[in-house]
Amino acid sequence: MAATSKATIPSSSTIHGSISTLNNPKLLEMSYYFTILSPTDTPLFNIAFGTSKGGGDGIARFRFPETAQYMNQFIIHSSLDILEEAQWTNGGMYLKHIDTYPPAAAYITAFLTPSGARFLLLHQPPNLPSSTSTTSGLGSSSLLGTAGSTTRASSSSIAANPTSPQTEEAVRQFMNEVYENYVKTAMNPFYKQGMEIKSPVFRARVNAAGKKWL
Amino acid sequence: MAVPPRHATMQSISNGNTAQGNDRPPTQQSQQQSQQSPGLRVPSNRKTIYDRHLNRTRNAELSRASFAFLFGEMVTYAQRRVTGIQDLEKRLNEQGYPLGLRLLDLLFYRSTSTSSSALSSSSTSSSPPNRPLRIITLLHLIHGPLWRLLFGRAADALEHSVSAETANEYMITDNDPMVNTYISAPRDMNMLNCAAYVAGIIEGVCDGCGFETKVSAHNQPTELWPSRTVFLVRFGDPVMEREKVLERAGIK
Amino acid sequence: MSDNTRGVFSLIIINKAGGLIYQREFQAGLRKLSTNDYLVLAGTFHGVHAITRSITPKIPIAQPTPSPATGTTGPAAPGYSYPNPGVPVSGLDYLETDKFRLTCFQTLTGTKFLLFTDPLTGSVEGIIQKIYELYADYVMKNPFYQIEMPVRCEAFDRHLGAWLRGRT
Repeated sequence: MAATSKATIPSSSTIHGSISTLNNPKLLEMSYYFTILSPTDTPLFNIAFGTSKGGGDGIARFRFPETAQYMNQFIIHSSLDILEEAQWTNGGMYLKHIDTYPPAAAYITAFLTPSGARFLLLHQPPNLPSSTSTTSGLGSSSLLGTAGSTTRASSSSIAANPTSPQTEEAVRQFMNEVYENYVKTAMNPFYKQGMEIKSPVFRARVNAAGKKWL
Repeated sequence: MAVPPRHATMQSISNGNTAQGNDRPPTQQSQQQSQQSPGLRVPSNRKTIYDRHLNRTRNAELSRASFAFLFGEMVTYAQRRVTGIQDLEKRLNEQGYPLGLRLLDLLFYRSTSTSSSALSSSSTSSSPPNRPLRIITLLHLIHGPLWRLLFGRAADALEHSVSAETANEYMITDNDPMVNTYISAPRDMNMLNCAAYVAGIIEGVCDGCGFETKVSAHNQPTELWPSRTVFLVRFGDPVMEREKVLERAGIK
Repeated sequence: MSDNTRGVFSLIIINKAGGLIYQREFQAGLRKLSTNDYLVLAGTFHGVHAITRSITPKIPIAQPTPSPATGTTGPAAPGYSYPNPGVPVSGLDYLETDKFRLTCFQTLTGTKFLLFTDPLTGSVEGIIQKIYELYADYVMKNPFYQIEMPVRCEAFDRHLGAWLRGRT
């Protein structure tokens, strides 16, 4: 098991990487799909990534990889009605978890900028056979007794519960960081509101924020 | 088990040439940034706009003269092939509008990062300020924080139309608009008010917050304040209807 | 400062082509001229000023001390200059009668400010500097002002009047 995964992920040569290959990474890591929509619901930016905390390799593994490409967008757009309702009842910018799509176990978290751009994050926990397998996975990691095991346990709790306060806080930090970079984009005189964000620097920044907080 | 990651194809929807980026371990991230974008020109000091701080200008001030000259040129530019005063004011308004949209995000960013003080004067917590949901909150935002961000002081008055027929009209008064400091309109254009540019900024802010509005600038000189300007803010009907719904729901 | 309360009679601004672009009386004390005469005055003064400028003699500049290395100082080096090489020659600075004094100030771009004051008025320089400052602010920064054309800027009139009134 470990040998096969090592063979298929040759690039993960760090210590964390090797630990993650000891456990099944699919058991513990979330897959994320982040998108920015204009106030008129035009997609401006999107990116997919996976858990990086606690030794995750940052690669998204959606449950239905064949359809994820459009299903994620579909799920996100279907939560817009709820978002627009929440928009006028909650004056905060970070609206937290607003919608769930049970068939894909997809959780949607939203952040609204004052000028109406919507930041939407879809998180999908890995496909767990049952809840007991999570605890068994936890047990095995604690048995290892390495330094990575503690962070691993906390990250796995995020994975197990996308609506937990820790997750909300981590997503808040992520959203705030993206917001900062979004404001910088908007300050660019060559950028007009509603234009697709093509800057590779912005993409790298969002990617880095994902690595840092999720 | 570890199938080739699906996300590579997903990313390619929006940005084809950066799609391979994520497969590499994070240590290569920085090099790859510079490699992956041959079309991007980075300044010689390697600092893009994303490396700059948005709060930097809190103490740095701009020269009033350079603004006056710049604004003067903007007015001259707007005057080209213009059909009349209203057309000129419309053009100035359109120049201000995108600025309002941008300022809105910047205003909130600055007040979140400097924690509370600027916007949420009432609440003592350091939580970020709320997006305005009601008209009054929005107008206070414009009258106070926005005016301070732009002109270094609050506006001079905020009033609501007394007539029931024009309940959607609000007035923001500036006794001495900075944009008009050095401007004297010729006599045959005495209705013109170049603060139409500021009206455009207000319109951008309101629209950005989801309040459809028309804003116009009007001369209301007094003995003491010869360039006193009233910004007439007229909210659209959908906004007024939503306002009623929100009031019934008890949302502040 | 009591001298300053003495009158500033009127102000004339002449563009660089010699045309009258601004004329305003602040205080009675001089006999009035017709508009046409003001135009003539502006044109005449402009011409006289140009002549006084061209007859201003050049004076020899201090010979640079011959450096021992080169030995001789070349006669090709310009031996004459205006009194202050950094300042362009000014020409006519003021005219005075026993009833009034006319002070002329020329900007770098050739615009001339002519100020008619009481002969006893002190610190005319300061007054002209302030007028120049107001001109730079309220005329030159006004997008509706066309360069070299008559000055019709309400804010300039207002601030000029207010400042002169504040002085007296």
